[in-house]
Amino acid sequence: MDTVWGDNVAQNIAFYLIAAIMVGAAIKVVTSKNVVHAALYLVAVLIGMAGQFILLGAEFIAATQLLVYVGAIVVLFLFGIMLTRAQVGSDPDVDTTAAQRTTGGFVAFILLVVMGYAIYGTEGLSETKLPEERVQTIAEVSDSIFSTYLVPFEAISVLLLAALIGAIVLARRD
Amino acid sequence: MIAAGLSNLGVLAQIAEFTPLDTPEVQWAALLPLLILAGGGVVLLTVSSLVKAMAAPGVNAAATVLVGLASIIACVPVWQRVQDPERGPFTAVGGVIGIDGFSILATGLIAASVILAALLLDDYLRREDIDGVEMYALLLLSASGGVIMASANDLIVMFLGLEALSIAIYVMAAMHRRRIESQEAGFKYFIVGAFSSAFFLYGIAMVYGATGSTNLVEIATFLANNLLLRNGVLMLGMALLLVGFGFKVSAVPFQGWTPDVYQGAPTPVTAFMASAVKVAAFAGLIRVFYLALGTYSLDWKPAIYALAVLSMIIGATFAVVQTDVKRMMAYSSISHAGFVLVAVQAGTEKGVTAAIFYLTSYVFMVAGSFGVISLVGRRGDAAHSLDDYRGLSRSRPGLALAFTVFLLAQAGVPLTSGFVAKFNVIAAAVDARSFWLALIAMLASVIAAVLYLKIIVAMYLTGDDAEADDSVAGPKVSIPLPAAAAIGIAIVATLAIGVLPGYLFEVAGDAVPVLIALP
Repeated sequence: MDTVWGDNVAQNIAFYLIAAIMVGAAIKVVTSKNVVHAALYLVAVLIGMAGQFILLGAEFIAATQLLVYVGAIVVLFLFGIMLTRAQVGSDPDVDTTAAQRTTGGFVAFILLVVMGYAIYGTEGLSETKLPEERVQTIAEVSDSIFSTYLVPFEAISVLLLAALIGAIVLARRD
Repeated sequence: MIAAGLSNLGVLAQIAEFTPLDTPEVQWAALLPLLILAGGGVVLLTVSSLVKAMAAPGVNAAATVLVGLASIIACVPVWQRVQDPERGPFTAVGGVIGIDGFSILATGLIAASVILAALLLDDYLRREDIDGVEMYALLLLSASGGVIMASANDLIVMFLGLEALSIAIYVMAAMHRRRIESQEAGFKYFIVGAFSSAFFLYGIAMVYGATGSTNLVEIATFLANNLLLRNGVLMLGMALLLVGFGFKVSAVPFQGWTPDVYQGAPTPVTAFMASAVKVAAFAGLIRVFYLALGTYSLDWKPAIYALAVLSMIIGATFAVVQTDVKRMMAYSSISHAGFVLVAVQAGTEKGVTAAIFYLTSYVFMVAGSFGVISLVGRRGDAAHSLDDYRGLSRSRPGLALAFTVFLLAQAGVPLTSGFVAKFNVIAAAVDARSFWLALIAMLASVIAAVLYLKIIVAMYLTGDDAEADDSVAGPKVSIPLPAAAAIGIAIVATLAIGVLPGYLFEVAGDAVPVLIALP
């Protein structure tokens, strides 16, 4: 740790770059007057998160982050906006009241304190060094799916098939 | 160029170093009954969406019955293998599926409920204008979930089986789209089921936290070899698991959903719910509590004792005051669940044998009863009040007689399966020195007998006024052949078990579950 950039210069530069983008996008999420834009900024934050996971060598979590959050949850958000609000575009009504802002700020502050304590208040994290070369986690996950968790994997596919058929049957009109 | 070549070599060397993945051995032959059910559902759905001829009436039902039969036939060689003293029970696919007499018998029972439900559904779906093959596909998928649950040796697998079983049934309960009660039933069952799944899953997490494994064999070994000084987490886990199972077997106080759901769901689906779901849920309950947590039986016995007492008494008393026959049967199924819990509570091999015997007899009694109810319900599936049964003996003497047999069997009258089943349960309770519980069980069956007699009286005596007999013609019920076949099978099974209980008793004795570790 000779320089400010630490051992792994490229990785750290990438971290700060992505972190800056994430913070900027996160601020836009709460300040944007357009709900759709806010949702898209949220996508930027979540993709940035996936990028951080890749920097940590956790590709599987990164892929899950993309699939679940960007792929499913944000799409749900957008569907929700589409189905509930006719007006897609800038909307002055979207501004929050003072009470809402105070509550939001309070919750965010508490979150900051808790996370700050977890990182700096306890001994563990600052001393922990990540191992140099990470094992291929995706390979490990796939190995365990086809060995240890073979039956649960297959059982889930039966479960999902039943859920799929059920959803179609119930949603279809006569 | 050379450097690139070298690095290529390095990559090749790395690839060569990979050891082949150590996949668990899959015992296909032993899993065949399960694979037939799950595969049958998928194939049925695919084929009937491609082949027009499958839309002809009765084809889908016939295919479902064949799949069920094939599954039962596939059980036979596995059963013989397991009962062979040289080979015995074993665990399949890396220790997560237990193949023993218990899981095979449960598979057979679930497949039998599939057959009975499919026979009842055939006419019902046409009568109610519910088209499509989805019901049969869901029936088979649900059954395969039940089989997974009944033969799971791992809590995660058991949970997934439970979910597959339940999700298909939520949809099947709500399939009757023009009946608001059916929608309500599906929705209620879904909400309550989601709650119970959450309890169950939380219980799994707690048990995992206390024992360090979700595998039943490893849990049992851990608890046998280690003395937990502080077992609060394990106790909590056991309690949550019991709540989860309690919802699924509809034991009091987790029975609230049962009457509404049983009443609202299409009657053939109710038949399946009452038979297959109870079998699968009790199979899971017995596997977890009798096998894996057997060393802690002193802790869970009082809880099951309480559930059993409440279920028997409340189920029987609430059933008597109902006027809707479907609701009566729902409450009576709660009372039956109490009886099986009495057998489980004994915590002995005899108790488990009695529970298996009871479940086997119950599948046929209850499927047959709901089969009759499905026919009497007629178009609209609404004629279920006691008044709709008045004079059934006049218009349809055969149907009335069949219902009488099922009701007498549920009441526990000698020469029917119910008598031997109840006798075994009470004997097991007495053997385990639970005298009070045995006494309460007898009392509950007396209360329940009132209910069954009420329905029989309604069918045979046409009213208060004896002179007005002729004016009551009785309901005009048509009896299609498949439904008649289902009721016939159920009657033969009920009477055969009642007259010759020795065979089933032997089978039930051979079907006591065991935990086998991986070799």
